Amino acid sequence: MPVEVIMPKVDMDMAKGRIMAWHVAEGDTVAKGDPLFDIETDKAAFEVEASDAGTVHHLAATETDIAIGTAVAWLYAEGETVGDPSATVQSAAVPEPEEREPSVEAEKPAEPPAPAAPTPDTEKTRATPRARALAREGGLEIAALAGTGPRGRVQAEDVRATIDHAPNAATAAPTSFVPDTGALAITRKEGEGTPLVLIHGFAGDATAWAPLEAHLKGRALIRIDLPSHGKSPKQRIGGFPALVKEVRHAFDALNLEQAHVVGHSLGGAVALALADTRPRKVASLTALAPAGLGPQIDGAALGGICNATRPESLAPWLRTLVVDETLITDAYTRIAFAPRNDPALRAAQAAMADALFPDGVQAFDLRAALQRLEVPARIIWGKRDRIIPWQHALQAPGRVSLHLFEDVGHLPQIEITAEVGKILQSSL
Amino acid sequence: MNAETKIESRELSYAEAIREAMDIALSTDERVVLMGEDIGVYGGAFQVTGDLVEKYGEDRVMDTPISELGGAGVAVGAAMTGLRPIFEFQFSDFATLAMEQIVNQAAKVRYMLGGSVSVPVVMRFPAGSGTGAAAQHSQSLEAWLGHVPGLKVVQPSTPEDAKGLLLAALEDPDPVMIFEHKILYKMKGPVPAGHYITPIGKAAIRREGKDLTIVGTSIMVHKAMAAAETLAEEGIDAEVIDLRSVRPMDRETVLASVRKTGRLLCVYEGVKTLGVGAEVSAMVAESDAFDFLDAPIVRLGGAECPIPYNPELEKAVVPQVPDILDAARKLATGAI
Repeated sequence: MPVEVIMPKVDMDMAKGRIMAWHVAEGDTVAKGDPLFDIETDKAAFEVEASDAGTVHHLAATETDIAIGTAVAWLYAEGETVGDPSATVQSAAVPEPEEREPSVEAEKPAEPPAPAAPTPDTEKTRATPRARALAREGGLEIAALAGTGPRGRVQAEDVRATIDHAPNAATAAPTSFVPDTGALAITRKEGEGTPLVLIHGFAGDATAWAPLEAHLKGRALIRIDLPSHGKSPKQRIGGFPALVKEVRHAFDALNLEQAHVVGHSLGGAVALALADTRPRKVASLTALAPAGLGPQIDGAALGGICNATRPESLAPWLRTLVVDETLITDAYTRIAFAPRNDPALRAAQAAMADALFPDGVQAFDLRAALQRLEVPARIIWGKRDRIIPWQHALQAPGRVSLHLFEDVGHLPQIEITAEVGKILQSSL
Repeated sequence: MNAETKIESRELSYAEAIREAMDIALSTDERVVLMGEDIGVYGGAFQVTGDLVEKYGEDRVMDTPISELGGAGVAVGAAMTGLRPIFEFQFSDFATLAMEQIVNQAAKVRYMLGGSVSVPVVMRFPAGSGTGAAAQHSQSLEAWLGHVPGLKVVQPSTPEDAKGLLLAALEDPDPVMIFEHKILYKMKGPVPAGHYITPIGKAAIRREGKDLTIVGTSIMVHKAMAAAETLAEEGIDAEVIDLRSVRPMDRETVLASVRKTGRLLCVYEGVKTLGVGAEVSAMVAESDAFDFLDAPIVRLGGAECPIPYNPELEKAVVPQVPDILDAARKLATGAI
């Protein structure tokens, strides 16, 4: 059965996309990953790759608005008969009146199939008032939604499903983001002395350091957003070495004489790897609840944070990060959620989680790196960490300082910000 | 509702509850008189007035001649001159004979005389099908009267409301038309003792639910409740609203429910076209609750024909529980 190539949803606000150019022609054979076409949205342009190998047929017209989720081309496997693709469309969205004659009429075999036609205006879309109201609230365009009601009517449930299931779909198919290239996002604060390079944890971003920064006044700070996090491009990270490679690339590009590297959780593992591979550039290493020192990690929390589509579902997982759950206020949750209100970001992070922590296990091991560490190093950990067991710290060689706190969880920099600040200051 | 005087509650039939209301009114307000055909020694076509004539005498429980227009005219005139008449029609169908008095006089006198006179008349109309009384004795004409500014029109569905709405009607300075369903006369239910009123213009939520709103009137409330029980077993949670008052209509209760459920089913016995449910539907469609609708509004009403004499056909032309079930299921599952 041919595979449909759909107009992807690359950002939250996007209801329609426009094909600017095709990189392939009707009947071309493509390999998986080959660029198919460029799309443009209100915000950006993207290249869309082939999800499978095959022969491309029924290309949609360029320079026309096409609703997301609509098939814009079909990939046929070798030997498959090129037929009428509308017959294979499983989506309920295909309007019956647009059904085409069987393509036995050989006169227009290459014409784009019906599903690629621009969707009708909002006014012409069959939808209930409630569905329209919900779509308005959710910033969705009603014409872009598939209706499951009678005669394809979009009902409230369809809108909710679109809003709710976006991340689930992302988890099931972590390919649903368009990988981007480019350098990792770096933010700096001018200040004195050897700069601190701050590397946040999984599902966080550079802003997570804000509370701690108040205790590092006057110091030069450089914050790196991990790939697919914060303002960094969404990338397909195949594993921990690939992640480190990206960060090291960014670190090298900073061209620093030396830096104090501070990392939290996954960022702690990355910092440790940096210290391991760039020992002369790293003045000191501070790892907060670092990953990479044992297989255990709370996979459910990782998944929960990754997939939360709203503050209400994020908050319970955030609370597992700390001991004093009152720290996770509504405001904190909303702020934490804001950047996550992007299905593509969640999809990219879900894919990264799958690569780094498959089956809820830390698939990379930095214990050897820890043993051979030569730079001055310290590990800060809360003894009530529910995400990664603090006992992993006990494997550190004697020259690494351990700062273990009794009633602290996975976020020492948030839970005991002043203490962490003091430890850092004392070593600079 | 007057809580202080509502001391105890007994099981009474709908007819008994109405009789008790009239008894209380007759005993506590000397302006109250009953008028109607055969309401004296015969006790009324449906035995609602019963033996009240023995208790209050023929001056206060008056048999009127077989002329609805004449009787209604006397009642309207008596109301204008200070009495509180309760006029009983033998069948609501006979309101057609008294339309001049109801529509042109009772409803308009206050307006035309600049508010110097009001018409505090109460009219009772045994209505509806199901008794085998055929085309001229089985209609549901409440929408006719509901169309007339100046009238209030209520449809009690329970013994408690039958009593409370009648006592409320007597306190109202304007004409109040009470449509009593003939099939309900023998229905029993708890009725508070003593004097209390059921406010006119206020609907009652008979069952709370979240999946769809069923707005019913009169006997259809009971059919909707029966349907709701079955629906609940199927996992469909219906909210049942007893409209109680056709004019004025309780907009807020209906809209709030539709905002909650997003689905509206109107069930009424009167002819579907231009009926009470048409007004309920339009009221919702014109309101902010429109944005909460997640399915088309559905109306179940009487068929476009006279009520047949044949008992099977008589059932077939008005909504029955299976009809409500069918419509509610389709609505709640998004199949309409």
